[in-house]
Amino acid sequence: MNEFFIKKLSTISFIFIPIIFLWHPSWLGFLGVQPYWPLFWLLPWAMINGSINGLVFGLFLGLILDSITLDNNFSQIPGLILCGFFFGRIKPHSDILVGHFRYGLICSFGSFLCGTLYLAQILSRNFSDGNFLIFIPGVKNILAEVFLTGLFAPFICSQFMRMLKFARRKLW
Amino acid sequence: MLNIRRISSSRWWHKKKSWILLGIFLFLVFVRISKGSLYKDFFYFISRPFWPGQFQKEVIIKSINQESLIKSNLLNKDNIRLREILSLQQSSNNNNISAAVISRKTGGWWRQIILNKGSKDGVEIGSTVTGPGGLLGRVNNTSLFTSSVTLLTSPESKLGVWVDRSQINGLLVGSGDDHPILIMYSKEADIKVGDFVSSSPASSLLPPNIPIGIVQSIDETSQAKKTAKISLLAKPQVIDWVQILKINI
Repeated sequence: MNEFFIKKLSTISFIFIPIIFLWHPSWLGFLGVQPYWPLFWLLPWAMINGSINGLVFGLFLGLILDSITLDNNFSQIPGLILCGFFFGRIKPHSDILVGHFRYGLICSFGSFLCGTLYLAQILSRNFSDGNFLIFIPGVKNILAEVFLTGLFAPFICSQFMRMLKFARRKLW
Repeated sequence: MLNIRRISSSRWWHKKKSWILLGIFLFLVFVRISKGSLYKDFFYFISRPFWPGQFQKEVIIKSINQESLIKSNLLNKDNIRLREILSLQQSSNNNNISAAVISRKTGGWWRQIILNKGSKDGVEIGSTVTGPGGLLGRVNNTSLFTSSVTLLTSPESKLGVWVDRSQINGLLVGSGDDHPILIMYSKEADIKVGDFVSSSPASSLLPPNIPIGIVQSIDETSQAKKTAKISLLAKPQVIDWVQILKINI
């Protein structure tokens, strides 16, 4: 049972990402915005398994998250694919403390990238209506999300990294 | 010599009592000039423990609510009767479904709530969802046990609405924050801060006359149209129970 759990640790944690995304704990929010949860899982996964794996699982995460959110016209897939690919090219730092802060910085950048791509889709979709009133709340959302993702990433990513490394070591 | 000292000690300014009386007099003059403000403020503090408490407030609010409910029911009956006479659209109150909010995303990009009633309970895509205060959004997706509601604040939401005072139609667009934007496609549209916005009688998506919100601010910088920020009456971030309306349009 224990071995099965360790073997499937990455899958189980992957399944929990959409659940946390849906749970949306308001007490963790800032200006009503939540951290961008999928990046916390995608960063360690891509760092351990490489760019192609990161890209593929970015796509998978995007597909799941798009299916549980209602926005039919906008997708999280482009942002997550790009993040997965870029994260795969980053190697873990030898210094633990620096590594922790790097997680925060990288996740903030990833969150900014995903948020910007999402806002670009909304703006291009509403371009025909000449409706640019969405721009200011959009920027606010991006900044709040970047801040929160960067704040939580050092704690959560390092735990995920440890878990995924542990599972990988046990498998080999 | 002795007599002189006795005379001088008998003067009024040598008596302590006189000074006390003068002090009281001056104080009363001050009170008079300040129109009793000191007294009133003093009374404010000492009477504070005896103010009508929470319990009394609740009783009064309950009475007001009951009164409003009775009035609302009477008006509703009148409304249904008149709509029948005029053969207008109407919503059925008998087929409403009560549902609990099981997931809530009211901040950021994704503004939706998930309810604990789905297609098994007869919820259909496009049904209107209301909460205490008024309209929340429309059902966008149903599963067997749940239904997902796109909130009015979502960038995906676009609905035809009605400004009650000037009786003009506009388009309510979610902006990704808590205040959706009302777009009036005319520069001369008569709209003021404080105007009440409800669902449009001409809408093919919603039942008519569901309260939505109040105009909070108006932006007139655009050449061709007027836009306004709307403060919603129903607050999705705190509502736990909602009504799903089955509409007969």
